[in-house]
Amino acid sequence: MSPQADSPGVFFEHVWKRFRRGEIHDSLRDLIPAVGRRLFGRGEAARRARENDFWALRDVSFQVQPGEVLGIIGGNGAGKSTTLKILTRILRPTGGVAAVRGRIGALIEVSAGFHQDLTGRENVFLQGSIMGMPVALIRQKFDEIVEFAGIAEFIDTPVKRYSSGMNARLGFSIAAHLNPEVLIIDEVLSVGDFRFQEKAFGRIQAMSRSGIPVVLVSHQLDRVASLCTKALLLQQGVVLHQGDVSECIDAYLSGGMNLEGSKDQGSPIRLSACRILGGHNLWWGQQAEVELDAVITGIDRSTFDCVGIRIRALEGGREVFLTSTRLAEIALPERGTVRLRLSLRMCLPRGTYTLEPLVFRPGEDQVLCTGPISTCHIEVAHSPLGRGTVDLEPRLSLNLLPSTAPGTPVAS
Amino acid sequence: MTVPRAEDTLPESPPVSTSTGFVAGVAEAAGELWQSRELLYQLALRDIRIRYKQAVMGFGWAILMPVMVVGAGLIVRLVIVRSTGAALDTADFGAMAAKAVCWAFFAGALGFATASLTANVNLVSKIYFPREVLPLASIAAQLFDSLIAAVALAIALPFLGVHVTPALVWLPVLAFLLVALTAASGLFLSCANLFFRDVKYIVQLLLTFGIFFTPVLIEPSMLGTTGARLMMLNPLAPILEGVRLSLGGHGLLHTITEQTASGALIVVWEPWYLGYSAAWAILGFLVSLHIFHRLEFIFAEYL
Repeated sequence: MSPQADSPGVFFEHVWKRFRRGEIHDSLRDLIPAVGRRLFGRGEAARRARENDFWALRDVSFQVQPGEVLGIIGGNGAGKSTTLKILTRILRPTGGVAAVRGRIGALIEVSAGFHQDLTGRENVFLQGSIMGMPVALIRQKFDEIVEFAGIAEFIDTPVKRYSSGMNARLGFSIAAHLNPEVLIIDEVLSVGDFRFQEKAFGRIQAMSRSGIPVVLVSHQLDRVASLCTKALLLQQGVVLHQGDVSECIDAYLSGGMNLEGSKDQGSPIRLSACRILGGHNLWWGQQAEVELDAVITGIDRSTFDCVGIRIRALEGGREVFLTSTRLAEIALPERGTVRLRLSLRMCLPRGTYTLEPLVFRPGEDQVLCTGPISTCHIEVAHSPLGRGTVDLEPRLSLNLLPSTAPGTPVAS
Repeated sequence: MTVPRAEDTLPESPPVSTSTGFVAGVAEAAGELWQSRELLYQLALRDIRIRYKQAVMGFGWAILMPVMVVGAGLIVRLVIVRSTGAALDTADFGAMAAKAVCWAFFAGALGFATASLTANVNLVSKIYFPREVLPLASIAAQLFDSLIAAVALAIALPFLGVHVTPALVWLPVLAFLLVALTAASGLFLSCANLFFRDVKYIVQLLLTFGIFFTPVLIEPSMLGTTGARLMMLNPLAPILEGVRLSLGGHGLLHTITEQTASGALIVVWEPWYLGYSAAWAILGFLVSLHIFHRLEFIFAEYL
């Protein structure tokens, strides 16, 4: 299977998973007539049941080796949770092989085992045991767990009097102190308040950078971009794209846009490609060369008059920058394929950004349609002298004014 | 995007088959169970804590059901005495109290165990651990209650005319068989209840009326020779009869006959009765464990 036969890892080979819709008899009273129908209906019911089956996963394969962090992205119902449930052995695949080598630590449903009438202390031992921690380890890490959750003074209070945030923080804290050989994380990055989220993210970052194989499912694409070394894009149970994180995020974001844009098929203009030349990873201040291809078919210029590009921060989706041919006073030809080339100096704070090609309606800022999205990741080479949404390239100097302290020598 | 038609492109490799042999399956399940013994303890502790937290009755709860059973038995015996004119034998009440504790354990444990998987939906559908621990933890929690009742009983028995005899060494053996039989039924029924939700109502019904098919309030000999034999077919009956006889100072390795109120001699015990119950308890436990272990991988889909 793999060159390192004994090292921990996650192996998913041609995994299929079928779910049955409807016709699950969950009482004997329903079962007996159903069996009768099946016997006398000449397989009618069985055939109908088979038509109702649907495949949650179709031929999904991936591997995660030590040191790799795999991010699984995709819309609702794409099969992300099913994948994780197969990995954690809650579900079994209909076909194919799913194997995890090594002790699994799952940051999934971190407070599912809590009982409301028990105290925080009792629940730590209960939840820890359910997650597979030996009691001796829980006892040894107990103070650390409580300290991390920040609920030391309430540890002997029944959990039913906890706020939902305290509940979630304690749950996360227990899971974060597992000593796993393989880590599986499902959407737990949005636990508690902002300060705890940062703390939790730091913890996950530390765990995933410790060299163990990690599988992460999240809708927070900026987190995926900054944590993962590779990605897998699922749609309706099928792998759409696999490999580079930026490419998967691009495909995911563009896929959503195409579905929206597909409504107006008779559009006189179509954006066919958007490329960042020379790689998606840029340093602060580096010149990004972007190429944008558009096919203009219509003559009617009342529907659109210019193309442009919008840059958004992946975290939160806030617009950072926008430019267009109208602002640059470039006229578009009547018809034909055009290539727009933009040179942008990426003076942006560290983070991941999306480049979104746009077509504007005439005379206003209203968007007619969008094209395929590219993401780029900005690294900061030097330690930034500040923080915020834009980099103002600060230069700071300090002088002692002579009038305030007479008699003392002034340092220049 | 073209979605491949699943039926046309089924994977070449068939699903991993888990239909391992019976022995291998049971050994695997037992191994996982042994590794999860701390979890079993924690879950049982949870059930016990919940039962005694914010509870008015406290430990009185543990002896409530046996006391009710003995009360019912008293009425049944009074009716018999009134209609036959025989004397009321107070020495029987010690044995009846002991059988009541056993029945209370069986009924209570089975009730909680049957519902244990569906009552923990959020755990079964979200976190992996050997699911066997859920019904077994319910049984362990009930065992704790029954041990309290047994201590109370041990204090009361000398006053009810039960003396210490060598035959009392049979009690731990019988207790073990009772727990094994309860675990066998609990594993099987919790699993059945997950797939068919009306199983728990059937179990409730059986537990309500089962006391009439089990020698708790009465003794099999009261039903005559054929009746006694039929009642002993109930795997629980030899265990309860064994408790009664060993409290009365009888060893269980030879045939025991008793004289009924009408004066007839009836065989109340044959040594193979013990083997019969032991077979149900131990084979039943292994078979239930095997079935449970085979099916637990699809639990999450049926919840």
